[in-house]
Amino acid sequence: MQMETKVHYQNFVNWAKDKPEVLVLSADLTGSTEIDLFRDTYPERFFSMGIAEQNMLSFAGGLAREGFVPFVHTFAVFIYRRAYDQIAMSVSYPNLPVKMFGFLPGITTPGGATHQAVEDISVLRSLPNITILECGDATDVESVAEVAYRTPGPVYVRMLRGEIPRLFSPRDPMRLGSNRIISRGDDIAILTSGICTEEALRVSHAVKKRGIGVTHIHVTTLKPFNDPEVLAAIRRARLGVITMENHSVIGGLGSSAAELMAKHGVGKRLLRIGLNDTYAHGASRRYLMKEYEIDAAALVRRVEELVQAELHITEAELAEVYLAPVHSAAREEAL
Amino acid sequence: MAEKLTSEKVAELGRRAKSVRRNIVSMVTAAKSGHPGGSLSAADILVTLYFAVMKVDPNAPADPERDRFVLSKGHAAPVLYATLAEKGFLPQEELVTLRKIDSRLQGHPDMKGIPGVDMSTGSLGQGLSAANGMALAGRLDGRPYRVYALLGDGELEEGQVWEAAMFAAHYKLDNLTAFVDYNGLQIDGPVSEVMSPLPIPEKWRAFGWNVIEIDGHDYNAIYDAVQAAKTVKGQPTMIVARTVKGKGVSGMENIADWHGKAPTQEECNLFLSELCD
Repeated sequence: MQMETKVHYQNFVNWAKDKPEVLVLSADLTGSTEIDLFRDTYPERFFSMGIAEQNMLSFAGGLAREGFVPFVHTFAVFIYRRAYDQIAMSVSYPNLPVKMFGFLPGITTPGGATHQAVEDISVLRSLPNITILECGDATDVESVAEVAYRTPGPVYVRMLRGEIPRLFSPRDPMRLGSNRIISRGDDIAILTSGICTEEALRVSHAVKKRGIGVTHIHVTTLKPFNDPEVLAAIRRARLGVITMENHSVIGGLGSSAAELMAKHGVGKRLLRIGLNDTYAHGASRRYLMKEYEIDAAALVRRVEELVQAELHITEAELAEVYLAPVHSAAREEAL
Repeated sequence: MAEKLTSEKVAELGRRAKSVRRNIVSMVTAAKSGHPGGSLSAADILVTLYFAVMKVDPNAPADPERDRFVLSKGHAAPVLYATLAEKGFLPQEELVTLRKIDSRLQGHPDMKGIPGVDMSTGSLGQGLSAANGMALAGRLDGRPYRVYALLGDGELEEGQVWEAAMFAAHYKLDNLTAFVDYNGLQIDGPVSEVMSPLPIPEKWRAFGWNVIEIDGHDYNAIYDAVQAAKTVKGQPTMIVARTVKGKGVSGMENIADWHGKAPTQEECNLFLSELCD
């Protein structure tokens, strides 16, 4: 599987070319959110906002109210923690088309608890009018701007930067409310989002080889959570459902699945993989995914729990499909 | 020589301000809750803006060329609604539906529901930032409209106000004119005791704004300050308007308790008798 580098950097410039109403706001993290090429290419459409997120979000509301489509760029954690009231009152309540690109979601930063957005979906999901999207691969990153742009009202995006795997064909872009069905099977439904999809892809093949049917869906539209394929997969799953997310198990994908199952009276096991009501340490992504049990090995254990048998999946099998970055200046995400 | 208000215009503004004040008292009484004190203190500023300054047309509330007004101190919604009604954006009879179920006149302004309301406000500190967005949008669009915003003095305690202050000066938003309704009182008491935002003019000057200090109940002074702001290039203007909380109703004037309290019907009758033409 192919790795791509700095996908957003060039892609957004190309995409925004003929959209004069698209503006970019950055809170002193321009290079860090790969939007420096846009700044240099369209300086008249780029606004340096300084380290002042509250003004940035209400300002974005004012711009949107006048017909512009501002794309806010900063780390995810600073969008919703620093400016939650501003998102609620200057953006979401008046239902204005402000598009918020939050970078370094969850444990994709080594910066530790201060920089890890681990409850963003949880708190933003409860705001009316807002749409929430999450990227899991290079194709998602390339196509999410168009989805956000076409979706009326405020949109929050969990964005990826740096080295990103290409899991899906560029000819198959992200679509609002229509998530990617990766495999179909009747025993277990696995719902994954963001960087967890890559992890699950390493597992599902080995699981299938052992005769276990898996419906695996890569969830890119986290709100609204109404994809009929998701409910169908949950209904079909004979042994239960597993959710896997780079987020707290409280309030994110796992909670959405639980709410959906409860609403439709689908009574079966639901195992939620994610940060278990904890802040995380600072370390490499790979280390943190292992430490907090949101990696491929953790998914194997949850599958074994549902099938009530040991599957004897070796680390080598999981490593076999591990998407190692090759021929690139791969680096751990710098702060 | 800059244009001045005629004595006829000043008399008209006085009449309209009285009408707006009557409506403020009546609507808050009918709602049994709301914010009369800071509505009354801002009445002369809003009346001057809407009847002598701003290009707005009640028949075209979404006209892209119109001047904009953001009530950053959104709890003073009664003065905005009463002024919009006086101007013809809303039926006068609707004012007493303030805060009632099914009324579009929420306790704090909702731009989705009310013609003439340019931004939803109510959570303090956000309005000036939104006004920044509207002012910058006007520049990008090449439209000559002007953006006005009204902040409370207590509101200046919100950190976001100073983020917005930095931004407007940094981007030289000379199409933005803001007011501080400096009535000196907030819910818990005098602003200087609760959490002093003083000295106010010096702070705005230090943030790079053109600052004009006026009596916020003097129509000529309000008008002249706004006209002067229009001539300033490369800087936003802050008009620090000294006002009296509860202005026009002697039983309310300078009493912090009238920040967010509705009069009884009996008090209302008394207050209205003072506001007769």
